[in-house]
Amino acid sequence: MADERAAKILAAIGGADNVIELEPCITRLRCELEDESLVDEPALRALGVHGVVRMGGAVQIVVGPEADTIASDIEDLL
Amino acid sequence: MTLRISSPVTGSVVALSAVPDPVFAQAMVGPGLAVQPAAVAADVLSPIDGTVVTLHPHAFVVAAESGQAVLVHLGIDTVKMKGESFTLHVVKGETVRAGQRIIGWDPGSVEAIGYSSVCPVIALDAQSSELADVRPDGDVKAGQTLFVWHP
Repeated sequence: MADERAAKILAAIGGADNVIELEPCITRLRCELEDESLVDEPALRALGVHGVVRMGGAVQIVVGPEADTIASDIEDLL
Repeated sequence: MTLRISSPVTGSVVALSAVPDPVFAQAMVGPGLAVQPAAVAADVLSPIDGTVVTLHPHAFVVAAESGQAVLVHLGIDTVKMKGESFTLHVVKGETVRAGQRIIGWDPGSVEAIGYSSVCPVIALDAQSSELADVRPDGDVKAGQTLFVWHP
């Protein structure tokens, strides 16, 4: 299940090719992306994401306390 | 389970909305309070009895037996410090008591390199209506109650 959620989150940020760097921080995924316009916020919200914050050249996806697990699941897919 | 959340640091209480980070300020991961720590080296204490379920040099989560989990974040954007100037006193998975030291740090050195050292203390995934006895702005000592969480 967790792997599936990671795959769906990855798809909603434009797929593996769009990810330059992804780093978890407790409750959020800090994503440095090739093209931020590919981020599908409604799709992320449908996956239970608490919020999407764009700042300082990165997109922060607020996933809650499972951020570390989700990030390592996504990294397995990159 | 009614949980009493005690302050992890000595300093002054500020509203979460005053924290310079939109994720905390907008309570996206839960409501709570923030404490601006005194600018002296100190140990950060567990806010509740429970298990350390997440541990980073700059932040940790302690979960109570009930599943209620409290996040303490040491400063803003401090993930970028890569653990430098933080000392861990526990390991992930360890059982801790409220008031037990978790991490040693120096808020003054965090401020000196340009980050805010303010510490959000978050009732993860709680509703704001579940918090009571929320401490007003002003001085707080580590171990004193910040708020009570009635889920």
